Amino acid sequence: MPPLLRLLFIRLGLGLVTLLLVSVVVFAATQALPGDAAKAILGKDSADAARYQALRAQLRLDRPIVDQYTSWLAGVARGDLGNSLVGAGAKVTTLLRSRIINSATLVFLAALISIPIAILIGALSAVWHDSKFDNIINVGNLSLAALPEFVIGIVLVLVFGTAVFRWLPSVSNVDSLTPLRSQMTLFILPVVTLVLAVIPYVSRMLRASTIEVLESEYVMMARLKGLSESRVLWHHALPNAIVPTIQVIAISIAWLAGGIITVEYLFSFPGIGAGLVDAVANRDMPMVQALVLLMAAVYVVLNLIADILTILISPRLRTGMR
Amino acid sequence: MGSGDRVRQPGFLDRRVSRRDVLKGAALVIAGGAMGPVVAGCSSGSTTTSTAAPGGVTTTSVAAGAGAVKMGGHLRVAAGAGSAKEDLNIHAPALTIPSMGMRFNLYDSLLEFDPAGVLGMALAEELSPNADGTQFTVRLKSGLVFHDGTPVNADAVVYSFERILDPKNPGLAAKQLRGLAPGGTKKVDDLTVRFELDAPNAIFPEALSAYSAGIVPVGYDPKGGEGVIGTGPFKLANPGDFQPGVQAVFVKNPDYWRQDGGPYVDKLSFIEFADTTAMMNALLGGSVDYVQMIPGAQRKVAEGGGFKLLETKTGSWIPFTMNCSVKPFDDVRVRQAFRLIVDRPQMIAQAADGLQWLGNDMYAPFDPGYPKDLAQRAQDLEQAKSLLKEAGYDNDLTVKLTTSTSVSNGAPAAATVFAQQAKGAGVTVEVNEVTGDVFWGDEYLKYPFAMDNWGTRGYLAQAGFGSVPGAIYNETHWSDTNPEWVALVEEAFKTVDDAKRNELIAQAATLEYNEGGYIVYAFDMQVDAYSPAVTGAVADFSGLASAANNARYRLMSFA
Repeated sequence: MPPLLRLLFIRLGLGLVTLLLVSVVVFAATQALPGDAAKAILGKDSADAARYQALRAQLRLDRPIVDQYTSWLAGVARGDLGNSLVGAGAKVTTLLRSRIINSATLVFLAALISIPIAILIGALSAVWHDSKFDNIINVGNLSLAALPEFVIGIVLVLVFGTAVFRWLPSVSNVDSLTPLRSQMTLFILPVVTLVLAVIPYVSRMLRASTIEVLESEYVMMARLKGLSESRVLWHHALPNAIVPTIQVIAISIAWLAGGIITVEYLFSFPGIGAGLVDAVANRDMPMVQALVLLMAAVYVVLNLIADILTILISPRLRTGMR
Repeated sequence: MGSGDRVRQPGFLDRRVSRRDVLKGAALVIAGGAMGPVVAGCSSGSTTTSTAAPGGVTTTSVAAGAGAVKMGGHLRVAAGAGSAKEDLNIHAPALTIPSMGMRFNLYDSLLEFDPAGVLGMALAEELSPNADGTQFTVRLKSGLVFHDGTPVNADAVVYSFERILDPKNPGLAAKQLRGLAPGGTKKVDDLTVRFELDAPNAIFPEALSAYSAGIVPVGYDPKGGEGVIGTGPFKLANPGDFQPGVQAVFVKNPDYWRQDGGPYVDKLSFIEFADTTAMMNALLGGSVDYVQMIPGAQRKVAEGGGFKLLETKTGSWIPFTMNCSVKPFDDVRVRQAFRLIVDRPQMIAQAADGLQWLGNDMYAPFDPGYPKDLAQRAQDLEQAKSLLKEAGYDNDLTVKLTTSTSVSNGAPAAATVFAQQAKGAGVTVEVNEVTGDVFWGDEYLKYPFAMDNWGTRGYLAQAGFGSVPGAIYNETHWSDTNPEWVALVEEAFKTVDDAKRNELIAQAATLEYNEGGYIVYAFDMQVDAYSPAVTGAVADFSGLASAANNARYRLMSFA
C-alpha cells in the first residue's frame, strides 16, 4: 500500500478515537453541570417535585448515566443521532439541518474569499518587504488582529447597515423556509467580518516564511539560472513557504467551523455556535453531542488534509516517507 | 374593520407621538383603571398629574371615532432571547419572552384585563358568581370559532380546564384556579359552563383571565407547530412557520371574534435575538418594525434614530428575598434594617437606567386593596445600624447575595448597588452571580438572600403563588411564622364583598410592610421602540408579555 494511503487510514482511525474521547468528555462535563433538561423545560415549575420527576422519567433521564451514554453511542453507530430532549422529541438531524447549512455556507464563503487574498497579500508583502506597501499592510494586519472580531462586525454594521450608509442589512437572521440563494445579501457583512478576522494571521505567517525562503540557496540558484521573478516566486519559493501557512489556514478554517458565537450573536445569525450555547443551557444532551462531534470531526479532517497537503507539496517530506 | 384602503382621517393615533405624550397617556390610562388610582407620587417625575376618570380612560378605543385604519402589511417584531425549548402549548408556562408574546396572539381566555387593568369579558359574555363564591357560571359569546373553523362551545371549555387540571401534567394556571378540581367544570348547555369549587375563592374570575387558561378545542395536543389551534387574532398557517429559538410567522385570523379589535396587518413575525445590540441594529437598519423591551440606555439611540417609544409603568417587580427560616433573617430586626439600607432612587438610577418606579416593600401595586397611605420607605442607615445592634450585630454581619441575569438583566447591577449601600450600615454583602441554569436549580428557594422576578398580579393571586404556606415559589418562608397574616389571607379568599376584601388585603399587606421578607424597592417600567411607520401601539400595565404593549399586535397597523 502506498505510504500516503497508509497514513490516511491510520490518521482516520486515530480521528475516530479522538471523536470517541471527545464524546465521553463532553458527556461527563454536561452531567457535572447542575440541573438537567427537565429543569430547563419546567423552569421555575421544577420546584414542583412530582412534575419534575415525571418529566425526568419521560425523557428517560432517570437511567444510570453510563446507560444513557452507551445507548446514545449505540444509536450513533446505527446512524441515529437521537432526538432532542427539549425540542418536542424532534430528531436532532432535522433540527440541526438548517443551522449546519447556514454555518457551512458562511465558512465556505469566508474561506473562499479570505485565503486567496491572504496568500496574495502575504506573498507580495514578502517580495516587497519593508516597502511602503509592506508597511501599510503590516499596520493594517496588526490592527485587525488586535481587534476582536465582533468589534470589527459592529463597525461594519454601523458603517454599512445603520449609521453611515444603509446599503446592507444590519442583521442576518437567515430564514430556513426561504431558499438560501435569495437571502445572500444577509451573508455579506458576516462574511466580510470573518474574512477580516482571518486574513491577518494567514498573510503574516506566509510573509514571514516567504521572506525566509527567498533568502535560501535554491532561490538564489533559480535566479542565477535566469528565471523571471514571478516564476521564482510562484514555482520555487512559495511551495516551500506555504507549508507552515497551510497549518495556519487549517486552524483558521477550523476556528470558523467551530461556531464563532460572538459573530453569530451580533448578526443574529442562526448557526451552530448559537445552537450549541442554547443546547448546553438546555442540557439537551443529544443536541450538544451532535454539534460537538461535528466540530471535532471538522477539526480532525482539516488537520488531516493540512498534513497530507504538506506532504504532497513538499518534495523533501514526500521522499522522506519511504 | 374595513376592506381596502380608505382615506385616513387624522385622529388620536395619527399624531406623531412624542415621549411626553406617551408618559401622559400611560399615566392617564393607569389612573383611570378600576384597579384604583396609582399614587401620583410614584410616577417618578411625570409631567402631568393624573385624574381618575370614572369607568377608566383607555386608549384601546381605536376604531371608535379614531378614524379608518389602513389594512395589510407584515409587522416584524424583535422579541428578545428565545430558545429551542420554546413551545406554543398555551397551558404550559411560557419559557421565554418571545413565546409568551406568541401565546397572546394565538389564544384567548374567558376573561381578560384591558390595558388599564380593568377585568372584563373576553370569550365569555357573562359571568355570575353565587352568594358565597363557590360557584361561577360563565356564558360564552355565541358564534365564535377556532382557527380550524370548529365552534367555541362548552365542550371546548370543559376540555380546556380538565387539561389544565390534569394531575399527571398540570398546567400553569392550575395553581391559580384555587378550589377547582378535576371534574369541577360542568357543562350546563352548549354555551354555558359552571365552575364548582371545593372552597370559596372570591378572586376566581381573576384566575380565569390568566393567559395560561386559554380556551382550546377538544383534542388539542400540540407538538412543535402541529396542532396549534386557538381563537386568537393570528394563527399559524403551517407548522413549519414556528421555528423555536429563531422566529415564528403568523397570519391574520379573518374570523377573529372581537369587534373593532383588529387584526389589521396580514402577517405578524416574532424574530428572536440573543443580543440586544443586534436587536437595536435590526430596528435601526429597518429589518424589524417593532422592538419589545429595549434596555433603558438605548432610549436615546432609538429617539435619535427617529423611532417612537412606548413607555409604561408595570406591576412587575424584582425583589430582594430574605429567607426568614435561616439566620440572620429569622430576626425581624435584621429584615427591617435591610429594608432601610436601600437608597431606592439611587438604585433605580444606577441599576435600571431610571426605568423603574418606587416600591414600598409591598407587591400588587394596582390591587384596589394596596395600602397607599403607608409612608414611603427611604434609606435610613442610622436606624438600620441601631436595629442590627439590637439584633446582636455590630458591624460584623456578612451575608451572601445570590443573583443572576436570568432573574433580570439589571439584577446583578442592583445586587452590586445593594452591596455598596450596605457598607454604610456595617454589613458586608458578597454578591454571588450565577448563570440561569444554576440559579433556578437545586438551591432555588433555599438561598438565605437572593432575588427573584414576578409579573403583575393582584394581591391574593400573588400571595397564592409566593407567600402562603405551600406556595410553589415561596422564597421568604415568612408565612411559616406569621399565622395572623395567613388567617387574613384565607379570610380574604372567602370574602365576596369587594370592600371588605380590600380591607383585609390592606391589613395583610401592612403586616408585610412592617415585618415581611421582601425588599421591593421598585417596580419595572418598560419601553418598546418602533418605526414611525407603525401606529396603534397601546401602553399596558401588566408587563406580562414583557412588552409595554402586552403583545397587542392586533391593534397595530402601518400608517
